[in-house]
Amino acid sequence: MRRLCIARPISRWGRARADDVRAAPARPFGVVWGALRLTGSGLLAWALLSAALTSAAFGQTLGDERLTFSGFGTLAAVHSNQENTDFIRDISQREGAGEGWSGKTDTLLGAQLGYRFTDELDVVVQGLSRYQESGHFEPELSWAFVRYRPDPAVQLRAGRLGWDVYQLADSRYVGYAYNWVRPPVDHFGTLQLTHIDGADVTFTQPVGSDLVRLKLYAGRSDSEIYLTEGLSAEFDVDQVYGGNLDYETGPWRFRVSYTQVHSDVDFRGPVADQIDSIPFANLDANNVLGDVFGFDRITLFSLGALYDRGPVTVQAMVNRSKVTRHDGQIDSGFVSVGYRVERVTPYVMFSKVKTTSTNPDGSDIDQQTYSVGARYDIAANLALKAQFDRIDTQSPGFLWRDTDSDWNGGWSSIFSLGLDFIF
Amino acid sequence: MNRVRTFLLASTLAVALPVSADIAVVVSPDSGVTTLTRSEAINIFMGRYRKLPNGDLALPIDQSTLKARFYRALVDKDLAEINSYWARLVFSGEASPPQQSDSAADVRQLITHNANALSYIDSASATDDMRVVLTLGE
Repeated sequence: MRRLCIARPISRWGRARADDVRAAPARPFGVVWGALRLTGSGLLAWALLSAALTSAAFGQTLGDERLTFSGFGTLAAVHSNQENTDFIRDISQREGAGEGWSGKTDTLLGAQLGYRFTDELDVVVQGLSRYQESGHFEPELSWAFVRYRPDPAVQLRAGRLGWDVYQLADSRYVGYAYNWVRPPVDHFGTLQLTHIDGADVTFTQPVGSDLVRLKLYAGRSDSEIYLTEGLSAEFDVDQVYGGNLDYETGPWRFRVSYTQVHSDVDFRGPVADQIDSIPFANLDANNVLGDVFGFDRITLFSLGALYDRGPVTVQAMVNRSKVTRHDGQIDSGFVSVGYRVERVTPYVMFSKVKTTSTNPDGSDIDQQTYSVGARYDIAANLALKAQFDRIDTQSPGFLWRDTDSDWNGGWSSIFSLGLDFIF
Repeated sequence: MNRVRTFLLASTLAVALPVSADIAVVVSPDSGVTTLTRSEAINIFMGRYRKLPNGDLALPIDQSTLKARFYRALVDKDLAEINSYWARLVFSGEASPPQQSDSAADVRQLITHNANALSYIDSASATDDMRVVLTLGE
């Protein structure tokens, strides 16, 4: 293998100097770790300040040019006019945004540390604080992996990895990376996992001026999703595996993907406790609810297309998830078009989700959303967004929280404001 | 008539203004690479496929003073859009952006020390110690 002979260690995205590495400005460790230990508003304030002070490139080196620190975050508020039920971003959220304003649905902060051993080998650790399963903003370890690139055509990663189940799924919390305030809830909101503990391999092959990419991955995982505020399903995923085939030609990126998730599902919460405690019935909540929801084996098929040229961006995806319950499936999809004019990118989006089975019940979801919004790039690391969603719900299923028992659907108006930053 | 007038206007401008400064993608003269297509440059700088035409690993370097002009010429995007693009790849752990460099002098030093490195300079400041493999009109 041809060795790279760079005279000195260089960072992939930090500032590089051609003179002495030791002369690079060092951000003292103490400051960074001190800031990481802060919680809530203090951390957000620090991150915002950081974002405002850094230059056009994001990420900074920490003394050693091989060690880089970077991050992302969103400060957002959502307003709902819906008095019968509460709005959520995804099914990991126990409580939703009720009528009026709420700040917890989309607000989050992530930070990444990277260390590069050689041009072929590096490690990445990333944490994320968002409103999640616990009902708090407790930071979670999103990723922690070793990455090895023996050749530009091959990449191997092992450790905790993003669940790259379909396009944009493993960057769905990185608000600065997309135009919307949040990815379409109808499509991304029902995803069960955020990460896998395992390994993946990506092969890239040029075909003329186009690229073909194949990614295969396998591992295990765990997560908790909420079906209602009083009932959650804890996934102990002993096997998750799948692959993506991408075709990139000019401004287009097409993808087909397939994934299998095998898990033991443990139902929790007052609803599960009540089933267990019904006298004389001798019921087991996991069996009863397992029959109802059938999440222990999920198969996902996905198609996606992204277009990005000059001012125009288009995203379109469809997904079918099959579950074991009564031939159950979750079908979802969306299409979004944005057009950038100077610093402003207005966009429109339509998304839809529908579950079907041979035994329909109250947990079925059927709704579609019409969205219009705009992103305004204040700086090259700070974007302000506004989005208006009209949601047409036929059956709320588990995509809403604290639903009135007599509410079976209707129109909801959701207005969101968001500030996304990277540092 | 219109076409003639446009031609005359264009000729006048061409004479009156200094040659518009293009951006040159450069490598070390020791590199085995003599030419690069625009799509190869996009693949390398946008992290899609970092292989040089001679089969070696490509090590792209961004130069902060020219970065905005370079990406406008390469993919017609501004720095906010480029950062947004990289935010997705960096924070999903898929790829890393080019190394960042502060000055043309740093770029020159990095390139002359590494046959796999490539960067960009203002065409007007091209010198013999770097090989131009692609010129992007602005």
